[in-house]
Amino acid sequence: MKKLVALILAVLMVFGTLTVVTAEGGKNIPELTKEPLEILLWDIATEGVGRKAQEDAVARFMADYPNIHVTQVHKQNDTYKQDLQIGFSAKEGQPDMYIHWGGGPMAEYYKSGCANDITELFNTYDHPDFIDAAIAQSTYDGKVLAIPFGGLSGCDIFYNKQIFADLGIEVPQTITELEAACDKLIENGYVPFALANLPRWTGSMYYMYLVARHSGNAEFDAAYDGTGSFTSPAFIYAGNKIQDWVKKGYFNEGFNSMAPDNNDDRALLIQGVAAMMLHGSWQVAGVKNDDEEFYNNNLGVFRFPIDEEAQAAGVPQNVEIGTAIGNGFSFNCWLDAEHTQVDEEKLKACYVMATQYYNDDTYNAIQVEGGNTPSIKGYENVDDPNNKVVIDVFFSASNVQLWYDQYLPASVTEVHKDMMGELFGLNKTPEEVGQAQDEAMKAAREE
Amino acid sequence: MAKLHGMAKRDARSTRIAATVFLFPAVALLIIYMVYPIFDTFRISSLKWNGFYTSEKINVGFDNWVELLHDELFWISFLHNIILMVCSILIQIPLGMALATFLDAGGRKFNIFKILWFLPYLMSSVAVGFLFYYLLATNGGLISGVASLFAGKRSLVDLLGKSPHALYAVIGVVAWQYTPFYMVYFIAGYSNIDTSLYEAAVIDGANRRQYIFKVAIPLLGPIFKTACTMSLIGSLKYFDLIWNMTQGGPNHGTELMATYMYKTSFQKFNMGYGSAIAGGMFILITVIALLFTKVFVVKEDY
Repeated sequence: MKKLVALILAVLMVFGTLTVVTAEGGKNIPELTKEPLEILLWDIATEGVGRKAQEDAVARFMADYPNIHVTQVHKQNDTYKQDLQIGFSAKEGQPDMYIHWGGGPMAEYYKSGCANDITELFNTYDHPDFIDAAIAQSTYDGKVLAIPFGGLSGCDIFYNKQIFADLGIEVPQTITELEAACDKLIENGYVPFALANLPRWTGSMYYMYLVARHSGNAEFDAAYDGTGSFTSPAFIYAGNKIQDWVKKGYFNEGFNSMAPDNNDDRALLIQGVAAMMLHGSWQVAGVKNDDEEFYNNNLGVFRFPIDEEAQAAGVPQNVEIGTAIGNGFSFNCWLDAEHTQVDEEKLKACYVMATQYYNDDTYNAIQVEGGNTPSIKGYENVDDPNNKVVIDVFFSASNVQLWYDQYLPASVTEVHKDMMGELFGLNKTPEEVGQAQDEAMKAAREE
Repeated sequence: MAKLHGMAKRDARSTRIAATVFLFPAVALLIIYMVYPIFDTFRISSLKWNGFYTSEKINVGFDNWVELLHDELFWISFLHNIILMVCSILIQIPLGMALATFLDAGGRKFNIFKILWFLPYLMSSVAVGFLFYYLLATNGGLISGVASLFAGKRSLVDLLGKSPHALYAVIGVVAWQYTPFYMVYFIAGYSNIDTSLYEAAVIDGANRRQYIFKVAIPLLGPIFKTACTMSLIGSLKYFDLIWNMTQGGPNHGTELMATYMYKTSFQKFNMGYGSAIAGGMFILITVIALLFTKVFVVKEDY
């Protein structure tokens, strides 16, 4: 009996020291205030795995720092950007820590004084070993502005393996082969691509990929900074291809009134009406949730085929579209309403919460369980065959171009999306579409 | 006499105090939520501002207004509002009146229709929007389903994805939602007509039809005018249902002034110009409503 007690005590002591080591010695994190502190946090975790993971993270943080209280407000995804803007328009009640998708809006928040520059914290203290693309997408103008926590998303073509096998279609490697496959599908009564283009960022995926395959990042970057134009060859090529595909019936009827939020496009794929769908990699989990049988028997994924002519001309064919951060947290901690003095204590607390509680092993385990891949090194190996394709494509990319509709400034994004509607609706020529985007981009640069 | 005079004076004073006390809440609410925002909208419309409290507000004078006058999209939206307005008045009010006439003639035994027909108006616009989004959906919607049944093969009817179909489809849904309101309005109008007039008409040898067209409808004139004015103002500032069904799409085919304002202010981060659109809406709606009430004169008494 005595021995047992001694053993237990010994074990406890060992664990005790271990805990001390991890809490103080092992990690280089800022010491947080002992005073009571209130943090207002806005996220969009209204349901599902994300909500559990995020509420747990906040609970763990508050358990370790009982003097700090975090109020977590779950906002609706669809109206979140507007809510946030209205929040920022008020003198008081602004969130101290909030989710966003990076890109143009993140820059806008920073320029408007609603996002703290955390470069120094990021370089001084511990944080997860994020992949480079994630850090790049959390950075604007050389300043780190966000901590990623949502996981990465690629953009790939989902297809019905059964239909491909029945018609003897091989997974296309080039755009020419893709077109041949589409023609064969139409001959046999299938819709080649399921598309729900009401919000128009879905149509934008085709445009982005065709531009990327034709010119890598070169022409988009040039159009963005004004040295080039949205009417340069790759954009015209992409516009013409899309309009050609629309005319040939590569997309389902009525795509302009269908919404991906209602999964109208996914339904066409699962019902076997459409054979393919270019979409974000969250569809892996989406299809699995909708119809596990279809997922196991029919669903396959392949990367957007290469442009063989461009490849011959030396254009890299591994620029991929997607997001390396998914969601990021930015911080809005200030001592005064005019946002001139940083509230260092609060900022440190937010930083610790975002890097050590969100993004910790417990959090990431829930993420992986839910089919997400954290933007952290070491999570490249996944078992699911479809997820594996997505991750492999993502990690072999020479560059990951963030979705245009998140990368561009907010005013240009709306024009870009409008133009995608016009392009797919055959109302405007690729030249006109390019000119409209050039004008918006020029106006945004002048601001 | 002098005493009485004093009492009358006191009466008048206490009436004034009571009036002030009772009016205060309503006036305060009106000032805070109606008057102040209108003035503030016009103030913001002179700024170049993205809507953030901490960001710079640059005074640009009338630049936003000049841009608004030349903004093709704003005038297209306005045109859609006008189409919606004309169609709303032409569909909802006659239909509402017809239903009310039917119910008025039937009396109590038609109460079940009264309830059923009133239901659409009780649903929130968001719910109606979603309901019809699914009903009109190209893939799996009711219309496509019925079309497939008749065509004998899978056929897709794309009502919301093409112009001008989308606008008229939406107008139909708006009519479905608001006709019951005018129905109830006209029922109230009918019940306000003194029964002695009906009796007099019957004694004079009028039949039901003559009574309705020669007596009742002319008497409903003022109701008709108010209904039209309400429909007019409602159509010009319409937002919620359209936003939920099409978000102004496809390619601005159902864009209204209000959806355009929302997109500009909250999606493009352009609060100054968004406020100019709101100000433009305010002016246009006020002018049209005033013109309408001036031109459309109805004799109020009989």
